[in-house]
Amino acid sequence: MSRPIPLHEIGEKEYIDPANQACQGCGGAIVSRLVSKALGDCFVRAEVACCGPAFMNIRAPSIYVEVFEGAGALMTGISRGLKRIGREDVVVLGIIGDGGTVDIGYQGLSAAAERNENILWVCYDNEAYMNTGGQKSGATTPYAATTTTPIGEYSRGKLERRKNVPLLMAMQGAPYVATASVAYPEDLLGKLVHAKGIKGFRYIHVSSPCPTGWGYDPKDTIKVARGMVQSGLWPLYEVSNGILKLNYKPKELKPVREVLKMQGRFRHLTDEEVDRIQGEVDAFWSRLVEKDGGNIF
Amino acid sequence: MIEVRFHGRGGQGAVTAVRILASALYLEGKYTQAIPMYGTERRGAPVVAFLRIGESRINERDLVHNPDIVVVLDPLLSRTVPVTDGLKEGGLIVMNFPKPGNEAGIGGRFRLATVDATGIALEALGRPITNTAMLGAFAKASGLVSLESLEKTLLEQWPGRLGEMNLRALRTAYERVTPPVDVSGIQALGKRPQEEIFSRDVSSWRIFKPQLDEGRCVGCRRCYIYCPEVAISMTQGKARVDYSSCKGCGICGEECPTGAISMIQEVL
Amino acid sequence: MRRWEVMVGNKAIAYAAKLARVQFISAYPITPQTSVVEYLAEMVASGELDAEFVNVEGELTAQTAALGASAAGARAFTATSGPGLLYMHHPMHMTSGGRFPVVMAVIHRSVKGMQPDHSDMMAQRDTGWIMLECENSQELLDTGIMAFKIAEDERVRLPTIFAGDGYILSYTAEPVEIPAQEDVDAFLPPYRSKYPLLPGLADEARRVQMEQWGIGQDPQLRWRRQQEAMEAAKMVIREVNEEFYKWFGRRYGNGLVEEYRCEDVEAFIVAMGTIASTARTAIDRLQARGKKIGLVKLKSFRPFPSEEFKRLGAMVKAIGVIDRNISLGSGGITFQEIRSSLYDLDERPRVLGFHAGLCGKEVRVGDIEMICEKTLRAAEGEEVTPLVDWV
Repeated sequence: MSRPIPLHEIGEKEYIDPANQACQGCGGAIVSRLVSKALGDCFVRAEVACCGPAFMNIRAPSIYVEVFEGAGALMTGISRGLKRIGREDVVVLGIIGDGGTVDIGYQGLSAAAERNENILWVCYDNEAYMNTGGQKSGATTPYAATTTTPIGEYSRGKLERRKNVPLLMAMQGAPYVATASVAYPEDLLGKLVHAKGIKGFRYIHVSSPCPTGWGYDPKDTIKVARGMVQSGLWPLYEVSNGILKLNYKPKELKPVREVLKMQGRFRHLTDEEVDRIQGEVDAFWSRLVEKDGGNIF
Repeated sequence: MIEVRFHGRGGQGAVTAVRILASALYLEGKYTQAIPMYGTERRGAPVVAFLRIGESRINERDLVHNPDIVVVLDPLLSRTVPVTDGLKEGGLIVMNFPKPGNEAGIGGRFRLATVDATGIALEALGRPITNTAMLGAFAKASGLVSLESLEKTLLEQWPGRLGEMNLRALRTAYERVTPPVDVSGIQALGKRPQEEIFSRDVSSWRIFKPQLDEGRCVGCRRCYIYCPEVAISMTQGKARVDYSSCKGCGICGEECPTGAISMIQEVL
Repeated sequence: MRRWEVMVGNKAIAYAAKLARVQFISAYPITPQTSVVEYLAEMVASGELDAEFVNVEGELTAQTAALGASAAGARAFTATSGPGLLYMHHPMHMTSGGRFPVVMAVIHRSVKGMQPDHSDMMAQRDTGWIMLECENSQELLDTGIMAFKIAEDERVRLPTIFAGDGYILSYTAEPVEIPAQEDVDAFLPPYRSKYPLLPGLADEARRVQMEQWGIGQDPQLRWRRQQEAMEAAKMVIREVNEEFYKWFGRRYGNGLVEEYRCEDVEAFIVAMGTIASTARTAIDRLQARGKKIGLVKLKSFRPFPSEEFKRLGAMVKAIGVIDRNISLGSGGITFQEIRSSLYDLDERPRVLGFHAGLCGKEVRVGDIEMICEKTLRAAEGEEVTPLVDWV
């Protein structure tokens, strides 16, 4: 299991250049920066269509291929190719959005996990297709308003449940799977450093709020991300060889209402709808607590 | 034909502004064309949009390269963006700027009208979205479109309270915009180099900037670790802001546990 | 020592990949290509071939993974057919756009059924891949080896397809000479990418990568550079064809086209792949009867050898073009491209079109004799109709 890295132990050295092309207060840009700090200078980065390529400030060699659906395949090829030229020391990293992970990229993700490819897949999850203006994805929290699940007389926002990809990856037997949040850098960096030392398929799914798409002030990115974790909307856990560990386990979760009302995408929710979300969160949380420390299979 | 170029930042509504103008002018019997320039630019990033005004259907499909009028939605933009590029001699600049035109650092054979659109927007809308205020200023300074047509179009775009708020911004700016002044005698300020691929000056993206009270900084590193831009470094146990890399998102101010960072409005 | 074996086309392809010492193979089954990757799997399993063999979950991945491996600096190979090739369409643009010298074997299968025609490859016509067509198993093996040398040439750096007809080639066994590994090694040295995706990359390599991203440049430039590379490939294909001949004693026309019995003819027919093979017999029979007609085999579909057709077209009065494809709403693809190649001639020959062999419809020697006779009538000045015929 991972060990959180205290803020004062995090190195000063930066592996990306100052400033980038992302929106103000972008959660994904924080992920991109912290990932590079954890991995140092011996990685290559694969990118497919998402906001990620627009960050454009990473110093590590990157390959951007406009195959939205192909992140798993691309990383597979790079990893195998590097093995062939005798450079297995290089970490093959993908910083892939939720669309490229849970929707169009899922086939390749699942297959790469099955083959246990030696890659590190970091999904920065802003819960919609933010690069194209905020359309619903399989990672969008239910009831959220997006540009393709707008609120209207006949629509109350996104209907479907989230596709729980971290657990799906764990069920596929990936050596290391974790969730993380930009609001908990100690935990995130600890997980990245731990993952770096493992060979095989590693998957880290990071909650990365998007001020533009979620409808909150850019200054509140960390506050919203923290609120998601503290309310159980985004539990922090890791699964190492089938054993689940909850990394953030407060005595009591905060009500979801508070963090929902910070976001424009939930402005339309009625009290009943908030209660329904609360019920779903509570149910999932109690199952996680049950499994904590045990085998998930 | 009259050609106009709008400079703004993602989220300030430059594209909406040219569309509203296009509609208002069509109401008055003109033919128009509103052109957005889409790229990978994000909220806060410099953007441009164009408007053509003619007497009959406009067939040109290229971008506007030699505008008659330039509208600048953000006072800080001209620091990094060459807003007067290609502007015709004797052309007009309508600029969001809180001081008289001869203090804006823009010089050349142009006329410059200014209005404090950020102040007006904060007053009328509570948010620094300056597009509707700048439309009011444009109407007055250019004389090309009537306030009535703009009001009508605006209310169609946003019926209800939002429309009323924007109407207030529009009218206030119409009243407060300065008459255009000749800036041919003014020395233009040098522009910082742009178009660097990996490192860029994003200082013009922000409206508020973080100000550090060193006495209250305890060196906890939270602002440093949460900064999406690497704009904050730690020097001798204290945070230090590199303003050229700061977009002014405000996360550092929000996350500082001792209140050592406050966000203040950028002044020129 | 001479080595030969009676083998099917699919095995010849596997031999080509093995002799080229590919380092990466992405494998996915589709009839009639499947046994290519099965043979390779056996070679890897037995230790005959030392390569990454990845059983992928679809052709999109097969192509994208090969792209990734090539980007990392490995010699990458994959193979597919028909609908599988269609599923690769998107990443194929990326492989060529990124200038990754992936080599792929295509065993033709119609996009409208199991049987072969060239509709699968023609649907990839504009993806920026070099496309070389083969008529027998020996040519598949030889062209497969040459394909790597062409693709990896610094003047080219383009992915390359070598192709043959499904069933007719893929499952027909015939004797094939197998070149000695040490000769192939000398002909085709190991791949050393100048631009591998690695930390600590030199500035020049970085610049090339940025160019592949299309950053900070004329947005059309990537297209233009690729077109220039295609033009350069015409010369490289000819060179490689000659060098192959020096090493192995076999060559395929000038690498782009092959003229078969075209001396003193009034007309010739044009065909690709196995139809060109059958056509040789038809030409032999007709010439035995004193008919002045020859065959031009089109081997390099991309880059398209327009100059060759202009040169050849100037020598005859009529050309009959056989297309195992159709661009619906327009017509036979090589028919049109050949006609276009002749436009600048002062005296242009008549050009007739023939659709044949689509969806695997059998093309017999007699069919081709009929095509030849119609073409000869046109050469004699007779008004023949229709201009384009279905055989």
